[in-house]
Amino acid sequence: MMPPSRLAGTLIPAMAFLSCLRPESWEPCVEVVPNSTYQCVDLNLYKIPDNIPSSTKNLDLSFNPLKRLGSHSFSNFTELKVLDLSRCEIHMIEDDAYQGLNHLSTLVLTGNPIQSLASGAFSGLSSLQRLVVVEINLASLENFPIGHLKTLKELNVAHNLIHSFKLPKYFSNLPILEHLDLSKNRIQNIYHKDLKVLHEMPLLNLSLDLSLNPIDFIQPGAFKEIKLHALTLRSNFNSTNVMKICIQGLAGLEVHRLVLGEFKNERKVEDFEKSSLEGLCNLIIKEFRLAFLDTSQDNIIDLFNCLANVSAISLVSLNFDRLEGIPKNFRWESLELVNCQLKKFPTLEHISLKRFIFTANKGGDTFAELHLPNLEILDLSRNGLSFKGCCSYADLKTAKLKHLDLSFNGIISMSSNFLGLEQLEYLDFRHSTLKQSSDFPVFLSLNNLIYLDISYTHTRVVFHGIFDGLFNLQILKMAGNSFQDNFLPNIFTKLTNLTFLDLSECLLEQVSQGAFDSLPRLQILNMSHNNLLSLDIRPYKHLYSLQVLDCSFNRIVASNVQEPQHLPRSLALLNLTENNIACACEHQSFLQWVKDQRQLLVEVEQMVCLTPLDMKDMPVLAFRNATCHMSKTIISVSVLSVLVVSVVVALVYKFYFHLMLLAGCKKYGRGESIYDAFVIYSSQDEDWVRNELVKNLEEGVPPFHLCLHYRDFIPGVAIAANIIQEGFHKSRKVIVVVSQHFIQSRWCIFEYEIAQTWQFLSSRSGIIFIVLQKVEKSLLRQQVELYRLLSRNTYLEWEDNVLWRPIFWRRLRKALLDGKARSPEGKVDSENSQYEATTST
Amino acid sequence: MKGFTAALLVWALISPSSGGGGGVGETWPTHVACRDGGLEVLYQSCDPLQDFGFSVEQCYKQLKPNLSIRFGIILREDINKLFLDVSLLTQGSSILNLSYPVCEEDFPRFSFCGRKKGEQIYYAGPLNNPRFDIPEGKYQVLLELYNENRSTVACANATVICS
Repeated sequence: MMPPSRLAGTLIPAMAFLSCLRPESWEPCVEVVPNSTYQCVDLNLYKIPDNIPSSTKNLDLSFNPLKRLGSHSFSNFTELKVLDLSRCEIHMIEDDAYQGLNHLSTLVLTGNPIQSLASGAFSGLSSLQRLVVVEINLASLENFPIGHLKTLKELNVAHNLIHSFKLPKYFSNLPILEHLDLSKNRIQNIYHKDLKVLHEMPLLNLSLDLSLNPIDFIQPGAFKEIKLHALTLRSNFNSTNVMKICIQGLAGLEVHRLVLGEFKNERKVEDFEKSSLEGLCNLIIKEFRLAFLDTSQDNIIDLFNCLANVSAISLVSLNFDRLEGIPKNFRWESLELVNCQLKKFPTLEHISLKRFIFTANKGGDTFAELHLPNLEILDLSRNGLSFKGCCSYADLKTAKLKHLDLSFNGIISMSSNFLGLEQLEYLDFRHSTLKQSSDFPVFLSLNNLIYLDISYTHTRVVFHGIFDGLFNLQILKMAGNSFQDNFLPNIFTKLTNLTFLDLSECLLEQVSQGAFDSLPRLQILNMSHNNLLSLDIRPYKHLYSLQVLDCSFNRIVASNVQEPQHLPRSLALLNLTENNIACACEHQSFLQWVKDQRQLLVEVEQMVCLTPLDMKDMPVLAFRNATCHMSKTIISVSVLSVLVVSVVVALVYKFYFHLMLLAGCKKYGRGESIYDAFVIYSSQDEDWVRNELVKNLEEGVPPFHLCLHYRDFIPGVAIAANIIQEGFHKSRKVIVVVSQHFIQSRWCIFEYEIAQTWQFLSSRSGIIFIVLQKVEKSLLRQQVELYRLLSRNTYLEWEDNVLWRPIFWRRLRKALLDGKARSPEGKVDSENSQYEATTST
Repeated sequence: MKGFTAALLVWALISPSSGGGGGVGETWPTHVACRDGGLEVLYQSCDPLQDFGFSVEQCYKQLKPNLSIRFGIILREDINKLFLDVSLLTQGSSILNLSYPVCEEDFPRFSFCGRKKGEQIYYAGPLNNPRFDIPEGKYQVLLELYNENRSTVACANATVICS
């Protein structure tokens, strides 16, 4: 026993040691990809953990109170490519903090309140492409020490305190800079001198985002002869007037994409006037986008006065009623109208237009004709439009269409099978209501179609040739529809190039054996959310390329996967979750298969049993085969024991007398008698006595010895003496064979009367009556005594019948065994036992 | 009311960074989003990682259109895409399920769309709701904001009591 003082002496230092342990030494980072990607988010780390392999390429240390980064903080991680230090409360970064990170391409420092940034803080980052320094209290770009990062492609300095747009000289040292995000800063004025560096060293691929800066003034000519890839100015201007002046200040800019407008939650311009955009005439623009401006006008056609030569126009969330009268000479190739409150479908007659997106415009509900002969992409989704006839060249007047999206609309009546639209490659009808789509081969002429989506279109597939003609189809989505009798017939026979098929939520109960036989390239098959009752593998056996099979959310109880060769070899994922799996022993092989195929099954740990009750909501993996072995053993043992018992019973029944003899339970002996029984019968019945009685009793088990007059009476002695001497004296029992002839035979009656007397004298109850044939009562009455006995005592009745005979012989044997020789002296008993001993051997 | 809201927001925004990592296994306190004429809205963050601030101005039984709300949170995930799932329950049974895209990648609708992990976002603006009379009773509202990777950005269990 340790004394308490010593115990305390050991415990206290141990406790002290444990309390000194820093959490990072025992709180592990999440290993996303071994030796490569580690996440140490929000682990209360005070320093860079040292238990992470040096081969790590991605390290996320966000939300840890690192506070400061000393020099060579990451010298252990020379292979790092991505380093995330978001919200690490870093206020100080010392010189050479990232020294040695020569492969680092992305550095994220979002949300750190940096107060002290050493001039060599970013030194050594020779491969850095992306630097995210959002919300770090940066007041100016001028002294930001990134001039040496020649590989930098993206610089995100959004949400800081930068007042000046002056691009410092070091930008000329960043030749491949593509993105500069200066949004949500405090830039008010943009002067010509601010862009001096871009005049000297053009960055043609630069996308500049200045959104959410309170810009008041852009000096005219500031952007003159500047070429940019993109310029975004959203929610910058306080009024339409400021907007007008600033856009005029952009004069001379050549930009591929110009984005103007506001954010839905940052509305500033209240009195937007079309004249605000007049300045755009002095710009060279390829793509123009305008969003979330409160235009509040009937027709905004005047807006486009300066946009005739733009190739792509995108108008998002502008409220104007009409879009009509756009001059035909405009060279627009793409027009996008998203969430504009148009009350009427726009009339467009532009030869140049190749792409027309008109979505989420809830105004008009009828589709007007298009006259766009060169149109290749047409998106009319989310409009609630109705189409009375769809679709053919006559409806759309365009023969070059490749992409047609009519999803999320109203009722679309399929009146023709895309005649004249043979170039279509993409067709989307989802969540619109299709009429007559299953009456004829609707898609017959679409031999080039690659993508077809008819999900949730209220289509009821009755016609088996619905997909005829789609030889090149690769993706077919038809979730949320239904089939006749909820049976999937062989409708995919022509789709030999199909790689993706979605049949979820189709109320399917059964699948035709040959439904997927002609889809050798199918890779992904979704059968989830149906009503399948069992997982029948046979329909899938010809899917030689199948990788993913989703049968989740069905009512699958079990499967016939005992024949695993039917599962495609390429299968990598099988989803059987959310089914009605029965964890019963009858499906033992299936449940064992589930365990064996753990790697294949998705979320196998989450698979639960529905039945039986005692296994409900238990994981399928928890099912134990042993329980089945147990019950199987119990069943087989009980069946076997019942069999054994019945066999034994049958044997005992059959060999009752043998057993009796063997066991010696029932001792019988003739005593002083030589015969077991003396048989009284009429000679008329001798045939029966010889063939039946003698044969059965003397040759059976146990063998009885009968006294028969024709055999055992001693010749030369009077019949009466023989009867008494041989018959009664030497026999234990008397068998009386009663028949018609017996009554009529005087000798028989004589013998019977003697037997009666004998029985009376020796006080033995030894007469066994066998009624061989029914005797007439009148005849029987002649023998009063016999009549009385027969009516009072039990007698054996002979019936020549297979069923009754064994019973008869059994009873007779029993009667003969019964009442063994009883002698008044014990001496006879001992003799008896001696005799028995000799007989039983 | 405004002072209270501001204090609540400031507290909610500061608490995750100072209390860092303590969220797992704990439940966040219940906040009052609004309490006005006959209507009380309470909420509790169901994101194990952090709490957030939320308030509604002028909430009455007869809900006005385009309610003004304030919402502040520190992002734990990038939100190039952002979706909102709302489910309304009363007495344990679901009445309404809505899914609403807040941010779409190709064209950010709100100024906070496209913001990155670690950034603080603060939204003060109208909610795009119609005029609506709330029937008397107690309702449970489950709100979840998630991004393109289906990672939870914010999650709330709200209780609406209308008397």
